[in-house]
Amino acid sequence: MTTVAIPLALNRRKRAPWGLRLAPYLFLFPNMLIFGMFTVWPALNGFNMSLYASSNGRTFKPVGLGNYTTILTDAQFWSVARNTVVYAIAFVVLSTVLGIGLAVLIEAQKRFKVFFRSVFFIPVLISPVVVGLVWGWMLERKSGAVNTWLSWIGIGEVPWLVDNTWAMVSVVAVGIWMQVGFYMLILLAGLQAIDPTLYEAARMDGASAWTQFRSITLPMLQPSIVVVVVLATIHGFQSFDFIYTLTGGGPVGATMLIVQYIYENGFQSPIRYGIASAGGVLLFLVVFVITIINWLISRKREAV
Amino acid sequence: MNAQPTVAPRRTWTSLGKTRLSDALRVVVLTAGAIVALIPVLWTLLGAFKSPTELAARPPTFLPDSWALTNFTEALTRFDFTTYLRNSVVVTIAATAITLAINSMAAYALAKYNFRGKTFLFVLTLATIMIPLQVILIPVYQVVAGLGLVNTLWGMIIPAAATPTGVFLLRQYMLSIPDELIEAARVDGSGEFRTFLRIVLPLCTPALAVVAIFSVMWRWNDFLWPLIVAQSSDVYTLPVALARFNAEETVPFNLILAMSVVSIVPVVIIYLFFQRQIATGIANTGGK
Amino acid sequence: MARLRSRLLPLIVGLSSVALLATACAPGPSESDAAPAPAHSVDPKDFAGKTLNYVYFTDGPDEKGTRDLIAKFEKKYKVTVNLEILAFGDLVKSVQARLTGGNAPDVVRLASLSEFRDDLLPLDDYAGAAFKDEFLPGPQAAATNAKGQLIAAPSDLTINAPFINVDLFKKAGVALPDEKKPWTWDEMLTAAKKVQAATGTPYAFAMDKSGHRLSTILSQYGTTMVGPKGNTLDTAKAEKALSPIVDLMKDDKMPRDFWLGSGSKYKGANEIFLTGDTPVYLSGNWQVGQFVQNAKFDWAAAPNPCAKECGGFPGGKFMAAFKESKNPALAAEFVKFMNSAESQTTFVTAAGALPTRVDLAKSGVKYGDAKTQAAMDVFNAELKRTPEADFSTNGDPAFSGSATELVNQISAVVAGQKDLSTAMKDLSTKIDQLVAETKQ
Repeated sequence: MTTVAIPLALNRRKRAPWGLRLAPYLFLFPNMLIFGMFTVWPALNGFNMSLYASSNGRTFKPVGLGNYTTILTDAQFWSVARNTVVYAIAFVVLSTVLGIGLAVLIEAQKRFKVFFRSVFFIPVLISPVVVGLVWGWMLERKSGAVNTWLSWIGIGEVPWLVDNTWAMVSVVAVGIWMQVGFYMLILLAGLQAIDPTLYEAARMDGASAWTQFRSITLPMLQPSIVVVVVLATIHGFQSFDFIYTLTGGGPVGATMLIVQYIYENGFQSPIRYGIASAGGVLLFLVVFVITIINWLISRKREAV
Repeated sequence: MNAQPTVAPRRTWTSLGKTRLSDALRVVVLTAGAIVALIPVLWTLLGAFKSPTELAARPPTFLPDSWALTNFTEALTRFDFTTYLRNSVVVTIAATAITLAINSMAAYALAKYNFRGKTFLFVLTLATIMIPLQVILIPVYQVVAGLGLVNTLWGMIIPAAATPTGVFLLRQYMLSIPDELIEAARVDGSGEFRTFLRIVLPLCTPALAVVAIFSVMWRWNDFLWPLIVAQSSDVYTLPVALARFNAEETVPFNLILAMSVVSIVPVVIIYLFFQRQIATGIANTGGK
Repeated sequence: MARLRSRLLPLIVGLSSVALLATACAPGPSESDAAPAPAHSVDPKDFAGKTLNYVYFTDGPDEKGTRDLIAKFEKKYKVTVNLEILAFGDLVKSVQARLTGGNAPDVVRLASLSEFRDDLLPLDDYAGAAFKDEFLPGPQAAATNAKGQLIAAPSDLTINAPFINVDLFKKAGVALPDEKKPWTWDEMLTAAKKVQAATGTPYAFAMDKSGHRLSTILSQYGTTMVGPKGNTLDTAKAEKALSPIVDLMKDDKMPRDFWLGSGSKYKGANEIFLTGDTPVYLSGNWQVGQFVQNAKFDWAAAPNPCAKECGGFPGGKFMAAFKESKNPALAAEFVKFMNSAESQTTFVTAAGALPTRVDLAKSGVKYGDAKTQAAMDVFNAELKRTPEADFSTNGDPAFSGSATELVNQISAVVAGQKDLSTAMKDLSTKIDQLVAETKQ
């Protein structure tokens, strides 16, 4: 850490050893300033609000842990929590598996590789509100495009958005559609980093394709899979915009997830800011814990 | 030395690559997937040229009757489109530029230096990805109002510029830059900032491309924050206008589709331009 | 692993102590701190050169009326009025944010006073004590706070009533309803079903997905959800009122997907009516302007079907000023101006709305074209038949939440998750909670 620089005529920036120690803080400063002012401080404020009751965001009545008790004894909250967990698990598992599948197929592809790689990423770029609008239009039971096309191959009307189970299926499917391209790119990169000689050796030993996949591909893909699972978990638990536009949380709350619960408590009459903030804290804690667990598991595996 | 196997020139683990069948099957599956990925976009595009009666037709028609741009012109003249477009473009470009600058600097510090509080800051950055905007919306507004930035474009540009995801992705990428390069530069007398600017950044182009495209996408599509910050319509951005349409008593769906197309096209074009860079960028941030 | 823990632990401790510090400070003042507004009388000449911010939402045709009036006001007082138009659904969010940021607008158009009740400027001191009595008793009561002060000017009134597709009725040979002798629910539904059978439309009846619209039916069967005394729901009457609707949806004579497909978000069924898919559509007079412009068939407003009561259910919009306005006197003056007899006439004729002023209600209002006039005459007649209690229900702070809950319960019944009787009991329980929560 002790490089002392020879002064250069052009560059008048600090080059003394203490400059080296100061450098990281200077680099960090602009980002952390904005970050602190506009994300961290409001987040702390928001979390603080969870200990009060407020119906207008300006006058507050201290209630200690009252909001948390209210939430945890609210039947609607548990229904919402259940929906969120179901959605998150389905989303994470299916989008990871699908991501791996697509990455493998694309990697094996000789021609049009770039085309396929780009195509799947395009849904990632579309605004979630537009996604909800367009899919809501296409999934209409009577006149939606999807049911029309299904009828051409003899499948009857599917109640995509008006039946509790099908609505959840639709929401998961659309969510995956929106994100899998991104995960696929991460996994594709991980695939490309695998040493081909491993496969050659396995092939010469007579290993089948499936064995190769299981004992070479999957283990070597581990780091990428962990990244995808972490990101998918965060995305899954925070899903709101497209679902709200697609189903409004319906039918009858079957697809209402935790962020919608927070949103409605914060912005729809009767307004309950304290409850909304408390919900936010709970959501944050759950996602944080899951992410830490994920990360610890991956570190443990890597150390092996 | 790499003995090329006779059949599969690429690194594929399918040893049945010999038969044409698996190749064909793979293309079929991928094409089916591509269709599923693109159909809604195409459907929206086709719908944007249809009139309300055509859209209400059952069963739905495929191609529009005419390719006239009536929906677009009607949607765009209903309100001050040029202003909204200009605001969207300004906010997106400015925010992306700022994001790239400050995120890369912060990422560099987190990746290539050892200092007190490094882990704390890194975990803090990661943790904030998990906070939903709805919870902090009002508190952030208070801060912005306190700074006198409400109803200004800067109020839309600055608060979201310190994206935690951007810092995370850039840091992961920078971890793979060899320390020797930086040390060598130091020995040669280059200052810290100069090293960063002349040596590290150019090597990060793929990661910068990724953060750029994400920033473009988020800022261009962002509607909740601009809605709250903006008060007078001369500061509105395009998504706010789309939200207005959505909330009218008779939702003119053909116009909504036209607006959706306008919101999708620019981002897709930018992506297609830079997609090679972006793929490489994601590649090197994925495998920790 | 131990190293990890040693790094994580101080982290967690650090974060929690920061959090604890933050929680030690209250985020804002407690509720009783509102400062009373001093009584003022200001010389109008002092207004010259000032600016006023008016946050507004539009249903379409009313915008022009508002702009014309604003131009007049600007000329009269030499001020500038910034008309900021927001989407109806976003208005509450945006105004809330602005209030917390110390950036309140001066005047706002609201559909409900519940969210901002305590922030509105009592107008009596500025506009005079007599201002209140210029308005009809129902709307006036809704705009009065617990202390008896007028906190908003009721700017226009809406009333719910059915629309009918006259062409379809004629085609089916079914008699049109008579305004002077309104039909009953049974008669209306029989007629609707007959028209559907004869003309082959997909549905017999359609309705906006809204607790406000459902309250119309409740009112006709003799019950409301909330009132000054709290929970007023008679579950037996409510069950009787809503079974026809539930049955219609079960038989698919009323669009069922429409009801289930968008959660508890509001959805208007006007498109269904405009495409000619239903002969009868229960909505309200704000649709008139659009129908006049866009309907491709002959339509008319019909009288509300009677059960125990006749008439519809009122709604209305208000204009209010904020206590935190930088120029409360000017804001109050603006509100008063925009709701004078002359201004209100301009506004309601442009908007296709009903007047809230006693003088205009008595003298009647002349609308632009014959079609609008005919429809508005029906609505006016319906207004006169509407029970008084409905006005205070609509203005009650617990009404919004109850209306949403009503929609949720009906959706549950339509989805087959519970029967109507249980749903009404659950609704009543929820109303009790909401009343307790929103008590002033």
